[in-house]
Amino acid sequence: MSYVNAGYAIVLGILFLYGLNLLWRRRRLTRTVARVADSRPGPGGSEPAPLPAARPAAEVG
Amino acid sequence: MTSTVVTERSDDRRRGDGADPARTGGPRNGPPALSRGTVLATRVVGVAAVVGVAFTVWLGLWVTPPDKVQGNLVRLVYIHPGVAWVALYLAFGLAAVASLLYLWPRTRSLFWDRLAAAAVEVGVVFNVCTLISGSIWGRPTWGVWWAWDARLTSTAALLVLFLGYMALRRVPAEPEVRAKRSAFAALFAALDVPIVHFSVVWWKTLHQGATVLNANLSPTIHGSMAWTLLLGFVALTLVFVWMLLVRYRIGVLEDWVGSGELDLALRERQAEGIAPPTASAVVLPGPPVPSETPAGREVPREIAEVAQ
Amino acid sequence: MWRDAALVAGKDLRIEARSKVALSQVAPFGIVALGLFAFALGPARAPMVSGAPGLFWVAVLFSTVLAIQRSVSVESADGARDGLRLSGLDPAGLFLGKALAVAAQLVVLELVLTVGVVLLYGAAVKTVWLIAAACLLGTVGLAAAGTLYGALSAGIRVRETLLPFLLLPVVTPILLAGTRIWQAGLAGGTPSDATPWLHLLLAFDAVYLAVGVVVYGPIQEAT
Repeated sequence: MSYVNAGYAIVLGILFLYGLNLLWRRRRLTRTVARVADSRPGPGGSEPAPLPAARPAAEVG
Repeated sequence: MTSTVVTERSDDRRRGDGADPARTGGPRNGPPALSRGTVLATRVVGVAAVVGVAFTVWLGLWVTPPDKVQGNLVRLVYIHPGVAWVALYLAFGLAAVASLLYLWPRTRSLFWDRLAAAAVEVGVVFNVCTLISGSIWGRPTWGVWWAWDARLTSTAALLVLFLGYMALRRVPAEPEVRAKRSAFAALFAALDVPIVHFSVVWWKTLHQGATVLNANLSPTIHGSMAWTLLLGFVALTLVFVWMLLVRYRIGVLEDWVGSGELDLALRERQAEGIAPPTASAVVLPGPPVPSETPAGREVPREIAEVAQ
Repeated sequence: MWRDAALVAGKDLRIEARSKVALSQVAPFGIVALGLFAFALGPARAPMVSGAPGLFWVAVLFSTVLAIQRSVSVESADGARDGLRLSGLDPAGLFLGKALAVAAQLVVLELVLTVGVVLLYGAAVKTVWLIAAACLLGTVGLAAAGTLYGALSAGIRVRETLLPFLLLPVVTPILLAGTRIWQAGLAGGTPSDATPWLHLLLAFDAVYLAVGVVVYGPIQEAT
């Protein structure tokens, strides 16, 4: 594979994968938002909505 | 797909603490609004970016002729300067300006902070692309993968500074504290980059005298090649804009969810106190833990434990 | 501002005089670093001698990180940071004082390391004033930038790993300039080789001192 093709493939590949990553993160977050918003407390007795699958814990500094 | 939750923007303002409307406060206020205009704009930019890149690839790899001097290597020139301009000037410049705007009291708003963070993260990706495309171009040209060329080295220095910014940003803290810290880090990086650049240029040239490695493009580039080069710039800029918009949105959602999840975890805990514990373990995502300020911002230990 | 600076510098230096951390830990670390470089490059003298300027400055840079960590940590215990904030000290003076204290320790360290380089690598100092100028100007820049980044990372638990990663890239111009000036100083070259680098150090120092004086206060408030 020539240098040129490799260069194009790698650069565009990186951009493409990062773009997918962004879309995936946005989708996961909008789902979580909907879930958290749904489970806002009513007067006392509401069932919280089922939680999304555990996401990696936020890094504790 | 994109969020379908659209609420009144005035919800945010009605909180009445006179604060920054960009501050997403948690479940009380409802999810952050996303106007239809923004959704449309993001889609349009995204489509335009993909089309532009596709055209650039087609023109760059097939339509344009090889260069007299560089041969087929010139085809990398259609994307390398494009990603470089985005990483070194557009992303970095935007991050620096946005950070300054955040620090300036009159324009202080978490909007600028989130914009800066988005610009930096996308900038890192483009920076890596710059280094890789530059290195691949350099290998057949100079015979080495890395030449300690002034430009490549300065780009690498900028990458490291960007990564430092991102590392600093990952430290859990209140949004305003994190914003101020990040903004200062960006400011210092902005001050440092010109100094680093000059010192590296002198490092290469003052030592070698007149023999400067010619990392530059052939000065005359015309015809279809010039157009393809221009298209490459435009297409990659569009890619950056699209990524910036999506990444900004992610930042807003993350901040909102972060505060929302803690409240959720608290309610879960309280609900457990009333009802018998269920057999299935509830795995809760970890909320941000406050940084170690002695000003009493520590979350009570039990809540932190539950929330882990 | 200067009075506050002197006050703070005096406090930090007095703490150092009593605890002797810089003397008993940071300086020996610098010497150990020189030894590691010798093992890495030796046993032939030639690479060591030709690398001596750079290796000296790398050792100084690493030791600076330790010195800054120490400078920040003397205050993070017992809520001393809040105490300083409330004390009414001019933050610019606080910045200058801490930077001054770090600079003083670094100067002593560099003296030790210079002797080390001369003895261990066989480097011969030809133009003393160039070496001295490089060390002094470089020290000011390292202390200023280091104190700033130390303040930025003051309240953070991962400061130990974050601070080096933040600080070292920023001070690479000092490494580059210091090395070049030292090369001229060891080789007895003409000062004109070194002049642009001296100017670079001056510019670096001016920028970071000015910025530090202005933003140290806001950083303290934020973190």
